[in-house]
Amino acid sequence: MKERWQFLIILALGVAFLVVFRQTEPTGYQMGLMMRCMILMIVTIGLNILIGHAGLVSLGQAALYGLGAYVAAWLAVKQGMQFLPAVAAGIIATAIFGAILAYPTVRVRGVYLAVITIAFGLVFQNILVEWLSVTGGTQGLIGIPRGNVFGISLTRPIYFWVVAGCLILAFIVQYNIIHSRYGRAMRATAQSENAAKALGINLAGTRTLAFVISAALAGLAGGLYTFLNLFVNYETFTFFHSVSFLLMVILGGTGSLAGPLIGTSILVYIAEILQDLQEWQILAYGVLLAVVMFVMPRGIVGTAGELYARLTTKPRARETQAWPNRSVPLADIHGEGTERGQLVLKTDGLTLRFGGLTAVDNVKLEVSSGTVHALIGPNGAGKSSVLNLISGFYTPTSGTIAFFGNSIAGHPSYELARRGIARTFQNTELFGQMNVLENVLVGFHAHYRNTLFETLFRLPRFGHEERRFLAQAHQLLNFVGLSDYAEEEARNLPFGHQRRLEIARALALRPKLLLLDEPAAGLTHGEIEDLKALIRLLADNGVTVILVEHHVEMVMTVSDHVTVLDYGRVIASGSAAQVQDNPQVIEAYFGTGGAEFARQHAVAAAK
Amino acid sequence: MIRTSFTALLALTGSVLALSCGPAAAQKAQPCIAGSWELTGALAHTGNAVKIGIEAAVDEINAAGGVLGQKLRVIAYDDQGEPARAVDNARRIGERDNCIVMIGGYRTPNALAIRTVLAEMEQPWMGVISAGTRVIEWESGKNDWMFRVSAKDRWVAPFLVDNALQRSKNGKIGFMFEATGWGQGAVPDIEAAMKAKGVQLVGKETFNIADTDMSAQLIRLRDAGADTLMFYTVDRETDAILRSMDRIGYKPTIVSAWGIGVQLGKTAGALTEGVLVHGTFAWTGQLSPRAQGVWERIKAKEKLKDPTELVLPSGTANAYDAVFIIAEALKIAGAYDKKKLRDAFYQVKYEGIIGKYDPAFEKTAERHDAILPSQYKLLAYHKGVMLPVEQTPYAVKK
Amino acid sequence: MGEILQYLLTGLSIGGIYALVALGFYIMWEATKAANFTHGDVYMFGAVVCVVLVERGFPLLIAAAMAMVAAAAVGALIERLLVRPFNKEPNAIGWMLTTIAIGIVIESTATITYGPLGRPLASPLAERPIRFGGAGIYPQELLLPIVAILATIALELFYRRTTLGRAMRAVAVNPTAAGLMGINPFRIAMIAYALAAAIGALAGILIAPVVQATPTMGALIGLKAFGVAIVAGIANARGVVIVGICYGVIEKFIEAYISTGARNAVGFTLMILALLLFPQGIFGRREVVKV
Repeated sequence: MKERWQFLIILALGVAFLVVFRQTEPTGYQMGLMMRCMILMIVTIGLNILIGHAGLVSLGQAALYGLGAYVAAWLAVKQGMQFLPAVAAGIIATAIFGAILAYPTVRVRGVYLAVITIAFGLVFQNILVEWLSVTGGTQGLIGIPRGNVFGISLTRPIYFWVVAGCLILAFIVQYNIIHSRYGRAMRATAQSENAAKALGINLAGTRTLAFVISAALAGLAGGLYTFLNLFVNYETFTFFHSVSFLLMVILGGTGSLAGPLIGTSILVYIAEILQDLQEWQILAYGVLLAVVMFVMPRGIVGTAGELYARLTTKPRARETQAWPNRSVPLADIHGEGTERGQLVLKTDGLTLRFGGLTAVDNVKLEVSSGTVHALIGPNGAGKSSVLNLISGFYTPTSGTIAFFGNSIAGHPSYELARRGIARTFQNTELFGQMNVLENVLVGFHAHYRNTLFETLFRLPRFGHEERRFLAQAHQLLNFVGLSDYAEEEARNLPFGHQRRLEIARALALRPKLLLLDEPAAGLTHGEIEDLKALIRLLADNGVTVILVEHHVEMVMTVSDHVTVLDYGRVIASGSAAQVQDNPQVIEAYFGTGGAEFARQHAVAAAK
Repeated sequence: MIRTSFTALLALTGSVLALSCGPAAAQKAQPCIAGSWELTGALAHTGNAVKIGIEAAVDEINAAGGVLGQKLRVIAYDDQGEPARAVDNARRIGERDNCIVMIGGYRTPNALAIRTVLAEMEQPWMGVISAGTRVIEWESGKNDWMFRVSAKDRWVAPFLVDNALQRSKNGKIGFMFEATGWGQGAVPDIEAAMKAKGVQLVGKETFNIADTDMSAQLIRLRDAGADTLMFYTVDRETDAILRSMDRIGYKPTIVSAWGIGVQLGKTAGALTEGVLVHGTFAWTGQLSPRAQGVWERIKAKEKLKDPTELVLPSGTANAYDAVFIIAEALKIAGAYDKKKLRDAFYQVKYEGIIGKYDPAFEKTAERHDAILPSQYKLLAYHKGVMLPVEQTPYAVKK
Repeated sequence: MGEILQYLLTGLSIGGIYALVALGFYIMWEATKAANFTHGDVYMFGAVVCVVLVERGFPLLIAAAMAMVAAAAVGALIERLLVRPFNKEPNAIGWMLTTIAIGIVIESTATITYGPLGRPLASPLAERPIRFGGAGIYPQELLLPIVAILATIALELFYRRTTLGRAMRAVAVNPTAAGLMGINPFRIAMIAYALAAAIGALAGILIAPVVQATPTMGALIGLKAFGVAIVAGIANARGVVIVGICYGVIEKFIEAYISTGARNAVGFTLMILALLLFPQGIFGRREVVKV
């Protein structure tokens, strides 16, 4: 994979650079500056994961950095702890606070989250200043003994390599997380919460992981800083510094591998140059920030990448294949289907009220395995609401829903997804900025068995599963005829292809029950025929399908059973033919006097 | 993508190497006096005040031919009041610029932060304002390179306490201090000084920088019966305190450390009447002929109109005397050598504008401070101007 | 009893500042779903410019009006140059950084040109405090909560009764639809930012006689006011002003009875808790989004 080569090259370049730097016999001052730069890179790598992948803006990273520094400092000065346990304690403390900070993301996002992180930073700063007995107040903690590891005193020349080693470790962790299902899950939650939930991703868990990793890295950096400076002071961990970290990440290129390295080094060395400007320093800094935002909003790596892409990629015509591709063995992809005759889904008295509006009123459904069950009705009849209730996006006001006999009403959507309920959305909810292949890979998220530990250390099982699911993802793309589009960004796909991708992604979940929400909307006649074939193929292979549709003709030809809703209530339920002639149904669609019109229309269509 | 990261990193490598390769450290020290001061930010005027004093002295010395045949240079670095930057600047000054002496600035935490680094580089340092006791008197007792021409909080505290007790009618004294390194650091000194007099503070209140209302704290002090307050505050917050006092109608006598400068008179006007301030020097009122000459030269160079525009009068005077003490020591040392300079400090006898230094320093932990408590002065605000107390109605009749 | 009255009075004064600055955030947010993150800089700008103009000889009221107009111009420029280009996507955050940048530039320019020291602004209402019930307050300070409340009433009347006001509300609810009705959402946005800046500057001018205008007076005020606006739910003017004034009073009581130093820590923690309890803000409307 080309990302792996990128990663290795950057790593090699970095190490070579550091070796060369040491060869030039730098002064204590220059070494101190380089070490501080490397420590800040560790912080920005963590922030890069948080912002660039999980899409969470934190303006309180300096406080986490400071927490790691102060914990390590306090333990070293007041408790005489050695370097390793002191720094480790700092990391644990910040990881805990990272998890705490993640909790608000359950309820707030965007600017609201940013305000919470800012408030956290200011609270921390205030505590540093006030809690004299522990933090030393405004004077900070001084006289920290030089670090000592197994008897070796960490003087500057040696400590340089300790810091470098930690930076390399952080860089590897970044790569290992980003290119794994955890990284994909983070990007998924950032780009479409609904789709992520529907594929079995626990939003709160994923976000907490992102926060904990970024916090732990900040904590590590803080501990390293303590043993570099041998004193800590609250002035190093202010809101201004949190803003600087954000600027470093953006300048480098949010979400890119080398971005944090480039952004941090440039800003640290520019600050050095700006020192000569004396009182114009801060002003120049502000101007620089503005200029970067205007000229390079995607950062250095991002802008360079765009230029490179524009200069080198030739537009290539992509071939769309026919779908469904019957040569792909379905059993390989979605596993065993359900045996015939089982009751997959049963709802009873299902009701949903929004304030004064009753969207779903006492709905009774029974869906057998391997069948295609359609839900139709005029606009506002409550069809999508029923789907949302079944897939866990809404909680019913009253009534029951049973999936293979087990109650699922009110269960969270990600849990239902893991149990085997997949869905598509009325407005396709693709992960727009990920490519087609990655979108499908996210669908496999719930099936991975390897743990975070195995991912971080790239143990063998990680490689096995990645290869296996990659192969299966290609097969699914083959099945829906999008093999040639694997590298294309999802948001660039034409509309019909987006629908195909969403279905392929839903199938990756290996669902027992597939909910399709108006999949035919916007498709051409030919594409609708393909869709019908695909639905029938799935049903015949044991996948149960609930279909919400407006294309009455399509519904009638592909469904085994049809339920008609009007104003939230079931007004008819039976086979396609039975429902077609039901006068209530006709009246619901065409109004009074429509019965005659409908019969004539049906007769004409049959000819 | 590979290519772009590669080229970006190459460019980065080149520029970083170019920037970080500075001149190698010279064998002898350079004839420069450098400082890491707060030149930007809320306390920018403090850095400036020091710079003015140093430049006034250096100009005079250079006009007379310099020291040991070389003219002195002044280098100013901005640390924005951040200790971490102060450490960086100290390294720059000691290693890259290799200046013969580094001059300190306003903030005590910054001076504390660079203690280890100065010792490591064997770099002579002369403080001119930061009065924290621990800057000079280290816990380990091993301060070999840091000297100071300024006040020492451990000596300022008894000075304030004495003056407060002299003026208090009911003997109830309170203490207000800012929540900074300077303010918080003074608390143990003040409490020790009170204890030595056998009296206790009736109240001890703190506040944050940029606070605009201290009525809560003042109400508590008033209710405790304090008729005299000691302050460790600076102009802006003192203005807020005076107004808070005005609101609640509380008018205690105020004896303050030298955080209060001349700016207070401009903003608080009549509310400053009678406020007493510790200092080492005042440029207002009657000046000695030499000090008058210095003031005239500063006035011309900085284009000032009257001495109240010197916002940190003591600091500027300290810096001026400090440079001359350094020049004397250099002459005794005979070379621009850091170790020789340090040893020469103990032999300097000199008369500056603040007073007589006889000798300036001694080889004890306590006497790396040149100005003695007997040389401390009391200033008083009268009609919006800070003058030596003898020139106002607020001197205590003996 | 006198104490409690004292804390209440000074709390109302500082609360009035928070309310006015937070009102500015509300106006900006409603128009663009973004804001000048460092709105505290126009608060400072108003005070500083007014002081400079008075020093040059302009009478107080004229100088105040001129300062407000200048601030309004700055606000409009910020919207046009720094917010609009960076607010194109629904979850864009670029505007946060660009407005932080301009805040840094404005503050450091003021420090360099105006100087770091505070300067007085003479006002007849700040000369002598009025004392009653054991507490005292400068009449100038009482202006703040009064002006905040008047501004809210005026704003609500403006939104409801004038065409421009209704146009602004339309843009707030649905900019595209408003555009289809012939309303230019960009022009509305600039007007909104200008209005917000004028109100923020007014707060600075009103308090300057009491606290001395300095270049750093706005930074923390802006951050707190932003928090106040978010906690209030940034959904209606009344809510924002109520929360602003209450926060000022709460801060004062924390200072008096819990801890002076930890005032910010406690205050911000309360803000965090409030946001956790009311994720859409205390007065915000819970949005149910169709899946």
